[in-house]
Amino acid sequence: MFLSVLTLAAELHPRYRPMDQISILAAAGMQARMQSLDIVANNIANSSTGGYKGDSEFYTVFTSEAANEDGQDAPTTLPMIQKHWTDFSQGVLEPTNNPLDLGLEGNGFFVVEGPSGPLYTRHGNFRVSTNGTLVTADGYPLLDRGGQSFKLALNQPLEVSPDGNLRQNGQALGQIQLVDFQDHGAVSKQGHNYFQNVSGQPPSDATDLQVLQGKVEASNVSASHGAMRLVSLTRQFEMMQKAISISNDMGRKAIEEVAKV
Amino acid sequence: MIRALFSAATGMNAQQLNVDNIANNIANANTNGFKTRRVQFQDLMYQNMIQPGAAANQQTTIPSGLQLGLGTRPGSNEVIFTQGEFSETDNPLDLVIQGNGFFQVQRPTGDLAYTKAGNFQLNSTGQVVTATGDLLDPPITVPANALSLTVGSDGTVSFTLPGQTSAQQAGQIQLATFPNPSGLNSLGGSLYQQTEASGAPVVGTPGGQDGLGTLQQGYVEQSNVSIVQEFVNLIVSQRAYEANSKVVKAADDMYQQVNNLKQ
Repeated sequence: MFLSVLTLAAELHPRYRPMDQISILAAAGMQARMQSLDIVANNIANSSTGGYKGDSEFYTVFTSEAANEDGQDAPTTLPMIQKHWTDFSQGVLEPTNNPLDLGLEGNGFFVVEGPSGPLYTRHGNFRVSTNGTLVTADGYPLLDRGGQSFKLALNQPLEVSPDGNLRQNGQALGQIQLVDFQDHGAVSKQGHNYFQNVSGQPPSDATDLQVLQGKVEASNVSASHGAMRLVSLTRQFEMMQKAISISNDMGRKAIEEVAKV
Repeated sequence: MIRALFSAATGMNAQQLNVDNIANNIANANTNGFKTRRVQFQDLMYQNMIQPGAAANQQTTIPSGLQLGLGTRPGSNEVIFTQGEFSETDNPLDLVIQGNGFFQVQRPTGDLAYTKAGNFQLNSTGQVVTATGDLLDPPITVPANALSLTVGSDGTVSFTLPGQTSAQQAGQIQLATFPNPSGLNSLGGSLYQQTEASGAPVVGTPGGQDGLGTLQQGYVEQSNVSIVQEFVNLIVSQRAYEANSKVVKAADDMYQQVNNLKQ
């Protein structure tokens, strides 16, 4: 009985497949929206993280290789998230009055000496270590143009010029190394406000970058943009859920009502 | 998906801590010598779904992968040692430090603590003590019948006795600084304690070349809390908390819909 329904359905619909396309498509869409929500959640959670840059996702269409072989069938295409991209737009520079807070205006990064090679950051919340080195909150030294760390004299006021030159009592201490990447895809997030160079290409000197003393760059994620994304994500998710129930209904009707005829 | 729930939870936790910190700053807006604290956040680990730079095939590499962040965490709440405002009191034992130095005081346990709050008093034996009774270090004793008490900008404490015209010295106040004052440990009662992170104190007399600062008599240093700034931070923090809770709601709704797929 059941078999005959299947054959009947197959005759009615030449592209009939054991599991229906709509559900698979909608389920793939739901899966992708869930990953999108993960990205939005991380952005919103980091709306107070200094120097944080928001992430977005790239949707793409997955096309199965087998799909195009017989030429007749519509290819199996599924929406999926292929990669994410980071929005490197400028965050608001918040004044802190702390002379060791350095905000960056423009494109580029500070270079710090991480545990395994250089790391790049825009979170210029520095401090002086016990031996006088200028370090990040995690204790990684800030590097000058020669790749050396800065040695500060104790208790002397520090002046930082917009081009990154450090001075104490009129004595020059060197210039902060400021770099930029031609393609921002070259850096990937490392956590703790650091970026890592994954391209293998060395960065170039930053050309349009200013260092502003007494300011830190806030996160470039706005809560309002996040809220908007949330609404659109939940509605899209709902739509796909509806699509699955409709497809379910169609399947059920096919079984219950077509068989009556 | 469960990542979204946890990321939002880390965001809510972080904002809660931020509000705790703001509350303490505002509560201490009128505490002499109080230094405001600011919370710094960091993003957490990233989960690599598709490794950036991995080989897509023999010729090409994936230019940027798919990394999903796992939320935020409060990294530190550092003390901001900017100068507070000075208010005049005319009390001869109210002192402010114009500079980076700290007063050294001896705690009942015998170890030294450091403070910016210079509202000193005399105890029953004539020693200069803080408002909580901790001795100033090195100790300075002023006789009970001293008429006028002067503290010079270099920390010299002098007084005159009845019937005498020349002033006598009671001692010299010393100040301490640290390589990294942000690394000091707050003990409460406006006191700070030296830690591994702050480094060893460098002690000297006020007014020198080493940036300790000079003393000013008859003033107290108010807290450096900016109420306006704190309220702005409070609003931002509350809104961020709200946004995170909306994410929890959205994730929950999505789950609910998934569960309702099976009718």
